[in-house]
Amino acid sequence: MNGRKILAATAALTMVALGLTACSGSKSGGGSSSSGPVDMTLWTNATTGEGKAFWEATVADFEAANPGVKITIQTVQNEDMDGKLQTALNSGDAPDIFMARGGGKLEAVVKAGQAQEIIVDDATKAAVGDAALTAFTVDGKVYGMPMSILPGGIYYSKDLFKQAGITGTPSTMADLEADVQKLKDAKIAPIALGAKDAWPAAHWYYFFALRECSQDTLKKAIADKKFDDKCWTKAGDDLAAFSKTVPFNNGFLTTSAQQGAGSSAGLLANHQAAMELMGAWDPGVIASLTPDTKPLADLGWFPFPAIDGGKGEAGAMMGGLDGNSCSKAAPAECSKFLNFTMQKKYQEDYANAFHTLPASKDAQGVVTEPALTDVLASYNKAPYVSLWLDTLYGQNVGNALNSGVVDLLAGKGDPAAIVKGVTDAAAKE
Amino acid sequence: MSDSLGENSPVMTRSPEGPSAAGDGARRAPSPAGRPRRGGTDWRKRFEVALLTGPAIIIFVTFVILPVGMAAYYGFYKWKGYGPPTDFVGLQNYVTIFKDSSFHEALQHNGMIVVLSLIIQGPVAVVMALLINQKMRGRSLLRVLIFVPYVISEVIVGTGWSLMLQTSGAVNDVLTKIGLPGWTVDWLSDPHVAIWSLMLIISWKYIGFAVILFLAGLQGIPEEVFEAASIDGASYWQAQRHITLPLLGPTIRIWAFLSIIGSLQLFDLVYIIWGQYVASTAGTSTMATYMVLNGRNAANYGFGNAVAVVLFLISLVIALTYQRFVLRRDTEGALTEGKK
Repeated sequence: MNGRKILAATAALTMVALGLTACSGSKSGGGSSSSGPVDMTLWTNATTGEGKAFWEATVADFEAANPGVKITIQTVQNEDMDGKLQTALNSGDAPDIFMARGGGKLEAVVKAGQAQEIIVDDATKAAVGDAALTAFTVDGKVYGMPMSILPGGIYYSKDLFKQAGITGTPSTMADLEADVQKLKDAKIAPIALGAKDAWPAAHWYYFFALRECSQDTLKKAIADKKFDDKCWTKAGDDLAAFSKTVPFNNGFLTTSAQQGAGSSAGLLANHQAAMELMGAWDPGVIASLTPDTKPLADLGWFPFPAIDGGKGEAGAMMGGLDGNSCSKAAPAECSKFLNFTMQKKYQEDYANAFHTLPASKDAQGVVTEPALTDVLASYNKAPYVSLWLDTLYGQNVGNALNSGVVDLLAGKGDPAAIVKGVTDAAAKE
Repeated sequence: MSDSLGENSPVMTRSPEGPSAAGDGARRAPSPAGRPRRGGTDWRKRFEVALLTGPAIIIFVTFVILPVGMAAYYGFYKWKGYGPPTDFVGLQNYVTIFKDSSFHEALQHNGMIVVLSLIIQGPVAVVMALLINQKMRGRSLLRVLIFVPYVISEVIVGTGWSLMLQTSGAVNDVLTKIGLPGWTVDWLSDPHVAIWSLMLIISWKYIGFAVILFLAGLQGIPEEVFEAASIDGASYWQAQRHITLPLLGPTIRIWAFLSIIGSLQLFDLVYIIWGQYVASTAGTSTMATYMVLNGRNAANYGFGNAVAVVLFLISLVIALTYQRFVLRRDTEGALTEGKK
């Protein structure tokens, strides 16, 4: 190699190095309507099937109605969503439209100046109602558009209940424990639990807390993040006692929630387990995991059982909302698109595609699956609906609750350790 | 990275150039350039060296040194990951780490994995290497089979093994069907068993790497030594014990070094098989999974960076100590006096 060649090669390498180091985000935008063509990206966790098709069709309709606007859909596996989204928001290369679930998690994004206020038009406001929008409201401004309401409860297989000789659904913990025993006697795994993902296990604790704690206690903890009320430990005691009856499927600690036939939803879909505590997205997930990928015909639903002496109001529910937010640099078309998706037709399509409950009351007539109509009836009767506690209290507390509950179910920790874990987590925040 | 750090030091002291005024780049110059030349070519040589190493150094600094520095910086803050950090807390994150019992457990698991990897994989790999170093039929097929697991991606290995070892998975199914239902265990979630399941998977996956290294080491042992030994009446086993093992020493010590570093930083297999939360209850959490759980999943990025720094320092100290006390005789010997 002569000197000139060396120089040329070095120059080329240096250029590559500089190119690599200099690649910074240079994305423009900023909430104003632009006259030229508009490109937006949309992140959704609907990776397959009808859900994915819904977004494709809706985006196509919106693009047809708004020439010059182009929306690129990117699907992200649900378990990866939080982490990837955070990285994307930090890098300045955030998706314009992203999936959001309100509560403390959305608040952290808003407080960091990463989300944009959404202009909700009057028709949408009337159809959705204040209750659902409140979950996406921070300091009086709306930062997310709820697409569906997802109250939780216990899904069960009517056939397996019949097989075990169970008539009716349990309304108290004692009933539930008796039914668990009957199912075990009939050699049926009573309750499927995807504890590998932790949040399904934590849901059990949340529901015990919902029954044990008053609405005020739940609300108070949002601000002070203190969990010193006795009801928090009591909820842990309840869960520990219930866990002692060995109600969950074999190997629940390494069972995931939604991935494949071996997941908890898959166990229910294939009649390998009789019950699962989940939110209203479950019929859709189960439908995708049945052998013929059709909705499970004998799927039923009942609310979480009552607990004697609990301070939570009878009939109170807990659940989440799936919705979408606009990141700070998104063009004004983002709000427009979110309002567009709230029209009756798209809300109905959404409910059908995801087998869930639409946020718009106008569209709720489309819900016909028996499990979901039961959920809707309970929802409309509920004195109040709390958000999932991890959504409500933010990622750090949610993470600590997840770890604490999994430890408890694995027989490693005790109820007090859940509360202690949450307090310890505050030190890491 | 630490590899090159250590190899540098002996080169530095024994460089034929002596205490040259050249920059860092000169020490890394390939050996032909080490021959001193006269006069005006000197600056030109340095310029060439700087030009040639420049890009590599830029990339190294940008993607290795800078992130380490950034992590150290973020580790002093409470930071949720958005915008620049503002809440300076000094060493508090580090205090929290060292007080956290789940970090102690993770550290303990890492320690176990380091030790068990060495004592399980080492002897087995040596024996395997000796075996397939023999001339026999199907030798290359055997070599490929042993090396295949090492080539398969961690994600696939993790998913495959986790499906097989599920409570209702293939392994327990087979045990039941061959009439050993008493042998079925919760391979993945029983804290007494899980770490051994992990060791099984790690050994299965990484032993191929050790075997290939050892095979390469065996190729370097001259045939004459064995001939001489057999003329002197040494048996096969005596030859292995007194010739092969000592001459394989440098290779074994390098392999052990790589194995230790790998074990300290183990993340992917655990994360794939046990997920984000169950690793700590199953007794398979590592420092890296602790970092992801308490940093990324909890969105406590300041704290997570502090854990990264601790993980880095622990690895660095162990690596440097190992190089100072174990690897030094290899590198020194190789450079000066030939084989001892």
